[in-house]
Amino acid sequence: MSPSTAPVRAAGERARADRRPPGLWQAGWRQFSRNRFAVAGLAIMAVFVIASLTARWIAPYDPTRIDMMFPNLPPGTGDHLLGTDELGRDIFSRLLYSSQVSLLVGFSVAIASVAIGTLIGAVSGYFGGWLDTCFMRLVDVMNAIPLLFLNILILAIFGSEFSYMILVMTFTGWMGVARLVRGTFLQLREMQYVEAARAIGVSDAGIIFRHLLRNASAPIIVNATLMVGYAILGESALSYLGLGVQVPQTSWGLMLSNAQEFMLVDPLQAVYPGLCILLVVLAVNFVGDGLRDAMDPRKQAAIARRGWGRWRRNSSKFGN
Amino acid sequence: MTEYLIRRTLQSVLILLLITVVTFILIHAAPGGPKQIYLSPNLSQAAAKVQEHNLGLDRPLPVQYVNWIGDLLRGDLGYTFKNHIPVGEIIWPTVGHTLVLMGAAWLLTLLIALPWGIYNSTSEYGLSDQTASFIAYIGFAMPTFWFGIILQELFALKWNLLPLSDMWTMGKEGQIGDLLLHLMLPVTVLTIGFLASYVKYARSSMLEVLDQDYIRTARAKGLGEGRVVFRHALRNALIPIITVLGLDLPVLVAGAALTENVFNWPGMGRLFVQMAVAREYSVLMAITLLTAVFVIVGNFVADLLYALVDPRVKLSRKGGAAA
Repeated sequence: MSPSTAPVRAAGERARADRRPPGLWQAGWRQFSRNRFAVAGLAIMAVFVIASLTARWIAPYDPTRIDMMFPNLPPGTGDHLLGTDELGRDIFSRLLYSSQVSLLVGFSVAIASVAIGTLIGAVSGYFGGWLDTCFMRLVDVMNAIPLLFLNILILAIFGSEFSYMILVMTFTGWMGVARLVRGTFLQLREMQYVEAARAIGVSDAGIIFRHLLRNASAPIIVNATLMVGYAILGESALSYLGLGVQVPQTSWGLMLSNAQEFMLVDPLQAVYPGLCILLVVLAVNFVGDGLRDAMDPRKQAAIARRGWGRWRRNSSKFGN
Repeated sequence: MTEYLIRRTLQSVLILLLITVVTFILIHAAPGGPKQIYLSPNLSQAAAKVQEHNLGLDRPLPVQYVNWIGDLLRGDLGYTFKNHIPVGEIIWPTVGHTLVLMGAAWLLTLLIALPWGIYNSTSEYGLSDQTASFIAYIGFAMPTFWFGIILQELFALKWNLLPLSDMWTMGKEGQIGDLLLHLMLPVTVLTIGFLASYVKYARSSMLEVLDQDYIRTARAKGLGEGRVVFRHALRNALIPIITVLGLDLPVLVAGAALTENVFNWPGMGRLFVQMAVAREYSVLMAITLLTAVFVIVGNFVADLLYALVDPRVKLSRKGGAAA
């Protein structure tokens, strides 16, 4: 036994001395870190986040600098790691700056729509009655129009601005979470601890936020993670269609629509942005699935299954 | 059953009505309101007043709404702003084109996904099962339009095997063979997108059924595995898949919209994007309502089928939230 493990064991014994079982987060992390795919996803996410945060310093060129002397350079020419596009702009720098847009949209839309969805779901699940009916009809209405169409319609009416896009995607993205939270709350509100809390005079808001929301937090967090992926895909689709991010800003979707125009000249240009989207969304989904397994106490028994078997099991629950 | 039917119909009509309200409000919430949209900025003030009156924009909102609904019910979808063409004339042909594309993709998906899912349920965690989950992960994370572009580059530009885009080659309009060639790439893109989830649904639905007691009974009385799977399990496993098919309609329509844009397919989705860029609101509203009708009817039929084939469904269930 190496001496370095000693303090760890000491800490473990102290914890045991306190007779405190590991909390949700601690146990969750332990399980999460055993899932290879989830950890890989987290690592890829970290790389992209760091790249986007430091884009200003690590990008070799200004992403908007047009250099008509050197359009469509192949990868590896000069200092252009991935070549240049049809206007001579450095593709690698553009990819870096695009990741800022995608990640910003992804995270802000996910956080905002999950917050709204949670609130609406919580209120309608807890109170029920006409409030519930109203909200759920609203969800039905929103669900009856394909999301992409709804996004396009609203962006067409109000104009394609970056902040609008985040708002619009939030406005059209909360329904899934609302349904989920409502369903969970419908179950949880019948629990005895809720009755107990009410008996000792805890207010409705207290019960919702302190008691119910905590118990419903695991699926909400998992859903928020998956929402990041959906939002990134949605942003790229809107930008590809010309209704999202506008020139001179760049985004992976916008780069793809450029690349499609010039695919006879340089087919490789279309590959990079798509690969970036694929990688980020894949990573986010892996993290989400890892979280789902880690935070569900009922799934404790399944740790033994590893590798492909684990991947398979995860994917069979995907998207429910 | 009749009661359920009536309740469900009323519900669908209500949702449809709410959608018209939402679309109406959206148009009127636009900066400048409908006047900005329907009136040319070049008109003189007096001319604008006349035009406003002719279009009924000076009347109170509820009246305008009722008039609009009346027009819709009479099949009058309005006119385009630019050339004053009836909206219906633009939309109806594209609906057919979208249905061709979607129908082909949907059929292909089912033809592949159902047998594959059933097979996977009988050999859990086998190679084929893992391949399916691999495709699922990629399919969920991949931008469909990117996949389309890559296919175009490979099959149309590099190997010159299939047409790059559009529905027909010039001068060959109406020939089935030409249409099939043009369908290949977009249908592949759509199918890959849908395939994974349907294989998954078929598989998990089958697994659930195969776990039931009556399957054990069937095996115990010595029935062959094929008979157990196809006669006893499959019938019940298909029930949830029906619902999924209905609920997935909006995804199908939207997915087709992106693919249509990549392959320049003259369908509803491409028209929608074009009209959004051109700010032709009357066309946008019409298409939105049309897809909504489509989706609601789809869900309605799925629910109805579900209730028909599964006697366990509680017909008195409250609210529209499916399970």
